[in-house]
Amino acid sequence: MSDLSNLLPILWGGFCTTLAIFGLTLLFSIPLGLLIAVLKMSKWRVVRYPVSFYISVMRGTPLLLQIVAIYFGSYYLSEYSGLGISFDRFPAVIVAFSINYAAYFAEIFRGGIQAIPKGQYEAAYMLGMTRTQTFFRIILPQVVKRVVPASANEVITLVKDTSLAQVIAVTELFALAKKQQAAYASIYPLFVAGVFYYVANLLLSVVFAYLERKLDYYK
Amino acid sequence: MENLNETAPILKVEHVKKSFGNLDVLKDISFELKAGEVLSIIGPSGSGKSTLLRCITQLETVDNGLVQVNGKNMVQPGDKSAPVYAPAKVLRDIRLSTGLVFQNFNLFPHLTVLQNLCIAPVRVLGVSREEARKTGAALLKRMGLDGKEKAYPCELSGGQQQRVSIARALAMHPKILFFDEPTSALDPELTGEVLKIIKKLAEDKMTMVIVTHEMAFARDVADKVIFMDGGVIVEQGSPDYVFNQSGNERLSSFLSRFTKA
Repeated sequence: MSDLSNLLPILWGGFCTTLAIFGLTLLFSIPLGLLIAVLKMSKWRVVRYPVSFYISVMRGTPLLLQIVAIYFGSYYLSEYSGLGISFDRFPAVIVAFSINYAAYFAEIFRGGIQAIPKGQYEAAYMLGMTRTQTFFRIILPQVVKRVVPASANEVITLVKDTSLAQVIAVTELFALAKKQQAAYASIYPLFVAGVFYYVANLLLSVVFAYLERKLDYYK
Repeated sequence: MENLNETAPILKVEHVKKSFGNLDVLKDISFELKAGEVLSIIGPSGSGKSTLLRCITQLETVDNGLVQVNGKNMVQPGDKSAPVYAPAKVLRDIRLSTGLVFQNFNLFPHLTVLQNLCIAPVRVLGVSREEARKTGAALLKRMGLDGKEKAYPCELSGGQQQRVSIARALAMHPKILFFDEPTSALDPELTGEVLKIIKKLAEDKMTMVIVTHEMAFARDVADKVIFMDGGVIVEQGSPDYVFNQSGNERLSSFLSRFTKA
């Protein structure tokens, strides 16, 4: 068991990086996803088409590739242009994860927004509410309730996807576990890492179940 | 309720036309309504009644014609075929002077009954929260719904929900209240409670335009009845004229469908 007492602090350090990727990605991708959802429903094609293209690229190519592209792409871009906008490893991961997850969230939010009956807009309109008031006070609160189950899926997937950050050598949980695998000459550290992921997601499931119950006060 | 101007109509509709694609839904609609009057609009499904209501309440745009609410032109005929709508500010003022009760209530499901009544007065009219709550509670009492302040719409029966939506419209102090088939989504045994409320409003001299399939109600509550069919007003006049005296064939055949039941 001394194995475990050595292993746990090391993996805990990696888990903190994992949590940072997770938290920052949610922080940026949810508002960005909402914005993209609204833009995708724009009545102007010049807005709608680029946004659709962006979503299709984000969903149609591996996140792994996107991380690499953001990291190395920004490096070469800044080399050649002299603009100096290249990302460090960790920020590159956050940018890649945020714009990728924003695309998925956008589609969930769009579905939620479009599922709100037209009558809600009409009622608000007849009461003289502005479009902004209608969106934030009438539509969005109802959208939240509708998107919680689908968002829970994304959030749980995100916990596991953080392991992709190792592709540009960010030392998150899985990368460290793999290193320990070599040191221990055993796959045992990987299973311990698995327990970390599992417990994190178990907690998230509880949170989401609570949220769903909390939002169940109306139909 | 309001000081009644006997001469000028509070609602004036002239030569209103509206089509969806090739379908002419409103062909040439003209009528007037004075303050304090109640107008019932009857007619078969697809006759254009609801579209007319939606045009007057700005939920649809007209293709031509004039609509004047409370002395303000909402829309008037333009040079060519396109009508000229008033500036956005005027349209909003007009919208605030009209209320609409929907067939499907369209209450805000995430808000309590009292919040449904308060949100627009507070956010749109700038009434204080306290004042809005007081008015809201009084309105609920008038609707026979006291004690339901904290309920959510999904906890109420259809008839109760429709009464809340009437209260929500009244909370904005509209000059004209429009009803788009207010009892069509209700179970038959629940229509009575809603119709009773509307009758009470009529006694209080609330100006109302009611699209309805309840013939007895249309006759009893109204000062004036319009019968529409195929996008035109076939008959209009006093309830007695429309229901008893007019010998119009389309009207008689329409009314006969209701007496059979």
